[in-house]
Amino acid sequence: MIGIVVVSHSRALATAAVGMATEMVADGKRPSIVVAAGLDETTFGTDAVAVSEAIAAADSADGVLVLLDLGSAVLSAELALEFIDPEVAARVRLTSAPLVEGLVAAAVTASSGASLEAVAAEAERGLLGKQEHLGDGPASAEPAAVEAGQSVEVVVSNQHGLHARPAARLVGLVNGFDARVTVTDVDTGHGPVDAGSLSMVATLNAIRGHLLRFTADGPEADAALAAIQELATENFGDDEPARFPARLSAPTDGDNGGSGLDVAYGPAVLASGIVDVDGYVAGDNESARLEAAVEAVAEELRRLRDASPDLAGIFEAQLALLTDRQQLKEIREVLDRGASAVNVWQLVYDRLAERFEALHDAYQRERAQDVRAVRDRVLRHLTGTTEDSPIEVETEQPAILVVPELDAATAAMLDGHRFAGVAVRAAGATGHGVIVARSRGIPLITGIGDVDVPAGAVVAFDARKGSFEVDPVVEQVRATIAERVAEQEQAAAEAELPAVTVDGRTVAVLVNVGTVQDALAVRGADGSGLVRTELLFGERRTAPTVAEQVEAFRAVAAALPGKPITIRTWDVGGDKPLPFLPQEPEANPFLGERGLRAFRRQPELLRDQLEAVRQIAAEIPVHVMFPMVTTADEVAWALDELGPRPEGLKVGIMIEVPAAALRVATLTTDLDFVSIGTNDLTQYITATDRTNPAVAALADGLDPAVLQLIDHVVRNAGVPVGVCGDLASNPQAAVILAALGVHELSTIAPQVPLVKARLREADLRLIDTAAVLAARDGDQVRALL
Amino acid sequence: MIDKFAAWLRDSAQVLHDNAAYLTELDSAIGDADHGANLDRGFGAVVAVLDETSFGSVDELLKKAGMTLVSKVGGASGPLYGTFFLRFGTALAGAELTPVSIGEGLRAGVGGILARGKAELGDKTMYDAWAPALDAYDAVVASGGDLEAALTAAAEAAAKGRDATVPLEARKGRASYLGERSVGHQDPGATSTTLLLESAARTLA
Repeated sequence: MIGIVVVSHSRALATAAVGMATEMVADGKRPSIVVAAGLDETTFGTDAVAVSEAIAAADSADGVLVLLDLGSAVLSAELALEFIDPEVAARVRLTSAPLVEGLVAAAVTASSGASLEAVAAEAERGLLGKQEHLGDGPASAEPAAVEAGQSVEVVVSNQHGLHARPAARLVGLVNGFDARVTVTDVDTGHGPVDAGSLSMVATLNAIRGHLLRFTADGPEADAALAAIQELATENFGDDEPARFPARLSAPTDGDNGGSGLDVAYGPAVLASGIVDVDGYVAGDNESARLEAAVEAVAEELRRLRDASPDLAGIFEAQLALLTDRQQLKEIREVLDRGASAVNVWQLVYDRLAERFEALHDAYQRERAQDVRAVRDRVLRHLTGTTEDSPIEVETEQPAILVVPELDAATAAMLDGHRFAGVAVRAAGATGHGVIVARSRGIPLITGIGDVDVPAGAVVAFDARKGSFEVDPVVEQVRATIAERVAEQEQAAAEAELPAVTVDGRTVAVLVNVGTVQDALAVRGADGSGLVRTELLFGERRTAPTVAEQVEAFRAVAAALPGKPITIRTWDVGGDKPLPFLPQEPEANPFLGERGLRAFRRQPELLRDQLEAVRQIAAEIPVHVMFPMVTTADEVAWALDELGPRPEGLKVGIMIEVPAAALRVATLTTDLDFVSIGTNDLTQYITATDRTNPAVAALADGLDPAVLQLIDHVVRNAGVPVGVCGDLASNPQAAVILAALGVHELSTIAPQVPLVKARLREADLRLIDTAAVLAARDGDQVRALL
Repeated sequence: MIDKFAAWLRDSAQVLHDNAAYLTELDSAIGDADHGANLDRGFGAVVAVLDETSFGSVDELLKKAGMTLVSKVGGASGPLYGTFFLRFGTALAGAELTPVSIGEGLRAGVGGILARGKAELGDKTMYDAWAPALDAYDAVVASGGDLEAALTAAAEAAAKGRDATVPLEARKGRASYLGERSVGHQDPGATSTTLLLESAARTLA
């Protein structure tokens, strides 16, 4: 148990505070609390020597927490640390917690055997209860005045919740009105926070399905609330399909974009990503210097925003991060006291980045990158190192930019004539910079790690193979590029032709549909192998009626005339919340009530959906499948819920759980097909949370263990087998899947022509499936292709 | 030289005792009205130690004075002046006592005050007296002046620095709670620092 020391000017005060705190804790569980207060019983003052002795008396291997009143108490306690054994000092923590409230919280927490960090954290939160009650806490000071205002409530329907980009739209909108607006996440109870501050709104961590209450007062309160409602119906400006733009066509005129290929080579241009601030000398007017730098960066970001309407949201978000009034207020206060602009800016934005990194959602965590990008742009302006920006470097031939991480502005400004591609050391596919680079068709590879790249050395990468090479054989790379260009052109030209392999096998290539737009945009799909119903109605807080569902399915089918669509019943849980099916938080949501499991206790929603499926099946060719099935009992239950099948309705299940894959033969006796969800299957086979960057690399869909299980399913299912996970969207993997005997591949819309083209070139007889299944790891599988 | 440093501490104790009411009055305007009483108590304890103990070196003497102030002053000036004497003593350990080494020792001591109080120039603290004093001291030494000249210049610069605290707004210590209301008052810490340096100019050289 940790020890506690109370340092105060007054011995009476300290003794009484200890009395209050120990009253809360049972005798046998009291932590050791030692007082160092007053020069004697009645003389106010603190004594560093007495503090050091008190620390020695309270010392325990678990550490010592020191609570202090003010002024010399702080100085004496710090000095005391210099008097004691450094080994002991290392486990002593001085806390800024309020003395009385903090001591009570500390005593109670320490008595449970909590760690020093945990006790300190509780003590520091000591004021929260009082602040919330009185409504005068630092975060709620301003909002408290808005309580009398009017409110509206809206639902967050964005896939990743109110993350930086939509939050920026909201903040921009709110700040355009003469009104004070606060927002509360009704589902979590967090808030109210200032809706005009991005740092406050984004770190509210409002996820999809949460209900937000906006309260406003001021002359334009009505208009502000109306505009917020309007914005909410537009997903806060978050255009979901544009999140992963991928294109086959050449970049549009005027955009010096890239080749649109996944392979590139050139001399390496290195960017450390670290702004050298050592030479910076603080002057008399740091506030003005910072303001000038912020304005210059704002101007750059506005230019970028206006130059690329597709990506405007990203730069809008960075602008809001840059001009966040909460941050700027904090910074100005410190600068006015003579601090260096570079130091303060760096500190405050590092802290903000850490706040984002601590958020729950992996996608939101990656927004820390936007914060760092904004931080560095301003630091470069402050230190005058803008000219040295690596992307301004002149090279004789198109180069490869090698960066620790890619920020959106760099990706947007990268001249496709001067840069053949970008190699990013950090892993992750949803960074804004990565999205921008992809949308501009700039060849890109992520996750190359800390491979040693000498500046100027020729490097090459092939994102499809996941390879990055220093000093490659340039002729080979050129040959690959020529192949890919031909492939791209051919794929687009032949999208509508069937995918018949050289050895005469026809493989159906279908499209995964999350919105009707996916079905409209796709070229050459043989139908939809996966309609994600939970996304079709994602913006709804109430469950769609049977008629509404029939209407939605009809719209998808109309976009793929005459072709079958595979409706997957509600797939909820794990990382997919369904707004109208509230679920209790689970310790392990990926192992919890996911997919079909979620409806065993409350089947009403599923029953409605199956009714809609039966109705639409009378009109068009429809398949239905159930997600996250584990046992034969579950299949029997689902079929029972479905009831008598209309003629032509094919029924299947998804194979995502290893247990279902292993015993597929016993599950399919009454089924027409199975479809393998490779993302989840891979996650469960490798015991890897794919949203955890630390281990995500283990979730390799080409791991031979995954392929072995797919092979097992194909051999034993006794019904046609499809694959609708990401693996099917990878043209290389698609060939392996076909060679293993998979009948149908359902891919993301842009990949359909590419997958078809690759299959047409493939001779499945030449694929050594035995070698693939016996391979050592995913890399060896890729090498075999 | 030990005798001179002891004389400085004794003289300082006397001056602080004579000015205790004045310092406390200054402190009552913008603080907790204890600066004079605290320093009087602390330096009184230092004199008691000098009476009881004989010291073999200046650094021992200064360090003991520092520890005594840390324990006996009670207010913020305890750890601040305490750290000053501790580091001053440490810097002089084993050194030949010259105007240069004493200047370096003073600077080390003031470095301790800064580390402890985290004050900056213009925060309306004792540092506003110390900083110009150190610069003045060094300037005299650099131009070949002796210890007396250097300390005299330091004391004069400290007095100017002290007077310059009057229009400042306090940013440290309890006075900072007063914000703008601290403007128009002379800082007690800068005042006691000036007294110490004036005493040094009289006794050390």
